[in-house]
Amino acid sequence: MFRHNPLRYGTLALLFAGAVYAAFAAGYFGLEILIEILVLAMLVLAIDMVAGFGGMVSLCHGALLGVGAYAYSMLAVKAGVAAPVAMVSAIGITGALAWIIGAVCARTHGIYFIMATLAFGQMAYSYIFETPVFGGDDGLGGIPRLDLSAVGLDTMDSRTFALFALAALVLCYLFAVAVLRSGLGRSLVGVMQSEQRMRALGLVTWRVKADVFGLSGLIAGLAGAISAQHILYISPGLLNWTVSGEALVVVILGGLGTLVGPLVGAAAFVLLKHQVSEVTPYWHLVTGLILIAVVMSRANGIYGFIEDRFAGRLTAKARKSPDAAVPAKEAQNA
Amino acid sequence: MSADPGFWILQTLNALQLSMLLFLLSVGLTVIFGLMHFVNLAHGALYALGAYVAATFAGVAGYWAGFIAAPIAVAALGVLLYWGLIRRMRKSGPMSQVLVTFGLIFALLDLTRIVWGDIAIGIETPALLSGRVSLLGVDYPTYRLFVIVLGGVIFAALAVILSRTQIGAMIRAGVDNDDMAACLGINVEKMFFAVFCVGCALAGLAGAVAAPLLSVTPGMGLEILIPTLIVIVIGGLGSLQGAIAGSLIFGFVQTFGAVLAPQLSSVLIYALLALVLVTRPAGLFPAKGA
Amino acid sequence: MTTKAITALALAGGLTAHAAAAQDQIEVGLLLPYSGVYAALGNDIQAGFELGLETYGGEVDQTFNLHIEDTEVKPPVGLAKARKLALQDRVDVMVGVVSSAVLGAVSDIVAQMEVPLIVANAGNDEATGAACSPYITRLSFANSQVNRPMGEWLAGQGIETVYTIAPDYAAGRQQIGAFVEGFTEAGGEIVGSQWTPFQQTTDFGPYLTDAKSSGADAVYVFYAGGEAISFVKQYDSFGLKEDMPLYGAGFLTSPLYVNAEGPAAEGVIAALHYVPTIDNPENEKFVEAFRAKTERDPSEYAVHGYDAARALIEAVKTGATERSEIAAALSQVSFDGPRGALSIDPATNNIVQPIYVYETVAAEDGDGLTQKVLAQLDAEQMPPNGCEMKSIN
Repeated sequence: MFRHNPLRYGTLALLFAGAVYAAFAAGYFGLEILIEILVLAMLVLAIDMVAGFGGMVSLCHGALLGVGAYAYSMLAVKAGVAAPVAMVSAIGITGALAWIIGAVCARTHGIYFIMATLAFGQMAYSYIFETPVFGGDDGLGGIPRLDLSAVGLDTMDSRTFALFALAALVLCYLFAVAVLRSGLGRSLVGVMQSEQRMRALGLVTWRVKADVFGLSGLIAGLAGAISAQHILYISPGLLNWTVSGEALVVVILGGLGTLVGPLVGAAAFVLLKHQVSEVTPYWHLVTGLILIAVVMSRANGIYGFIEDRFAGRLTAKARKSPDAAVPAKEAQNA
Repeated sequence: MSADPGFWILQTLNALQLSMLLFLLSVGLTVIFGLMHFVNLAHGALYALGAYVAATFAGVAGYWAGFIAAPIAVAALGVLLYWGLIRRMRKSGPMSQVLVTFGLIFALLDLTRIVWGDIAIGIETPALLSGRVSLLGVDYPTYRLFVIVLGGVIFAALAVILSRTQIGAMIRAGVDNDDMAACLGINVEKMFFAVFCVGCALAGLAGAVAAPLLSVTPGMGLEILIPTLIVIVIGGLGSLQGAIAGSLIFGFVQTFGAVLAPQLSSVLIYALLALVLVTRPAGLFPAKGA
Repeated sequence: MTTKAITALALAGGLTAHAAAAQDQIEVGLLLPYSGVYAALGNDIQAGFELGLETYGGEVDQTFNLHIEDTEVKPPVGLAKARKLALQDRVDVMVGVVSSAVLGAVSDIVAQMEVPLIVANAGNDEATGAACSPYITRLSFANSQVNRPMGEWLAGQGIETVYTIAPDYAAGRQQIGAFVEGFTEAGGEIVGSQWTPFQQTTDFGPYLTDAKSSGADAVYVFYAGGEAISFVKQYDSFGLKEDMPLYGAGFLTSPLYVNAEGPAAEGVIAALHYVPTIDNPENEKFVEAFRAKTERDPSEYAVHGYDAARALIEAVKTGATERSEIAAALSQVSFDGPRGALSIDPATNNIVQPIYVYETVAAEDGDGLTQKVLAQLDAEQMPPNGCEMKSIN
């Protein structure tokens, strides 16, 4: 069951304030980084929903973001659909696809589930890469941004767009919280703890998993549409499994199963990456070592670690490691 | 595409060769998983390292020096990784293992770039194995035949070890139920360690074997990772039969798919993977207890 | 970012006074991949560019300040870095872009932000075709440019039937497409084509077997980088060279990695806009200087950087120091470089250059491989390809 506690509220307030400050204080490149963080934050929110609360580690969410981006772009550019309609449709399409993937993969667990999502993600990637109408390796350009001139906002201005993305992120967060607090969300956590037990209670567990996977797909779809609007250009590389892998890294870095942790992780990861790559072209090495250190330290990421430290003063269950969410037996079942 | 039997024979040989290369890689990974329930995503990076070491030694002392040095070097790295990382992560769930080994992929990728640079390296096939051999009415590169034969020999050797020797029996016991095996007095920890190192050595060998065929680039570990994972998931984690079955299926689907249905070929193998996962979630020949 | 200041050597003797508004320092943004599959190319281009500035920088007063950014071969990253260079570092000109996908992403904003970009590699035809802009000047090559003349040449050699193989992505299709056009117009016949999954194919056996069974006179391919190395070696291992000689776009046996291909590359004939063994005084100078600087032979990527520096300096010589001035001046550039006589075609802003047909042979001193130039094909202006070049304000 997802609950807020003072630390989470505090962190959220801090992040929000930081984002707003950055939106107004940062230079052009700073705004680029901010938007990158915001889009990544949406993606990791979607992943934490299914992985942290459902035990479903997904390597296809990056591809889902890509699907959202392509759906929006194809509708807006090739089919001439108005941007708002295209956005909503893209979100819907991605959500539906995510539901299907969740339903198909619901029978698998552990490493097999991971592999299954990987397979679907790569299928989407190959399909988009090979099909000429999507522009292939060269990608697609000329993507329009949502036109908010009716309310007096120019989304072509980076700052306005950053605030727009921030608003979208807040929306996604509230959505995720709503889902996790609902009956569906609580069933999901129950399924993660013990699927057998839930089935014995009469729950159709695959539906629960598929539904939440689909809902997380909606968030990923929105992230994709915004990403397309940000860069004004998309290419199949968006759907490669390494994108999902990196997103997963961010979730772990931040703190699995806390919803707030991944947001912290997103900011930390992007900022770290930019700092390190200014110093050396070998930033993969640094990222890899940090990831290994974080996982081996058994702490649940940066935020998770902080939260555990203050566990005594807060009500939330203390989580010891990324896999406390997945009971040992379930893990051995893989 | 043609009625010429030579074409089909050649493609079959190509498929076999691809299968054997993947088998060398996947057998290490699958036995490690079956025995230790440990997912080692960095296996591809070990393969790449093997190729680089082989290239370095081959440049100095000829191909066979590289052939011998690569498995040893990678096994040595395996020892380090085991003591440093794997031992501690063994009891963790799949997610931690995936992430730690994912981090390893990144780290090893840049390490190979730092040590060997970004420019691709090549090594020559040894004089003994250059040229072509006349076989079944076609001319087939000798080196590829060597890969097929090597794969077959290793498969036979492993099959014999696993089914006929005491060590093999202990390993199979460990895969079935490691707690029980420990109760029976088998030193499971040491066995895991040995299996892990052998798995790493096989990955290094695969790299050395692949190097004259393909090019040695920093990205080669990532390129081979997905095919390897597909092979072991389709074949079934933990068993030798699974590894060979998965390799053969992948090799044949990929090879014939590429020339008979090129538009579909990239999607085909993933569709096959998804199909297997949905109908037989544990793969085709999973080890019992895995 | 690391900034390097390259000081220009003052010419002995008087310098003519330039317009009062001239800046003393030109900010140059280098937008290249330093990580990912093209890192080696990025490094080569930079080395060539720096060498060009060192060699010709003395011809102008201004100094050049480099801002170096890594595109990671990812369009979103390239785009973000391009924005940074243009908006934050306020560069006067950008140089680079190896991958056509990154170029596609960057070209829109380059035109929008009105910053000149000297393309130092990416070959997709659209950049000087349908997506052309007065701010994009290409000093490297266009995909079709390298292959079309080769098609005609091959037909002229008496080859009647050809089987093509290439990776399945935009550049592959453009390169082979151009070859097929040139070859079929000159009377040749294509008996088969294969498209291999881009950067996912390590084993070309199935395709080579298919090629062999087609019975073509020759095989023409486009591959670059790691795929090229694998392909050439595997082609040799199947013993196809005697009956079906291998031809291709020169990236197949690029000096940057031909030594990794070893003896397998011997006898492969390819077409490229540059090889280190081109016989002209500019090239000799360039090769010597490059060897001294980096201890390796220059590749076509290095010469892109070198000529980009030269073009920039030529533009600055005309008095251009602002972005729009540089862009306009670049369209008019022409000089004799290591590749021969070069000029920019103002209708498309693409480079006009000769193409060299060369055979890879063993070096006389036994140390590696070298290129023997067989023919020099005349420079052709690329067709507009849908380009409607607007003028600068």
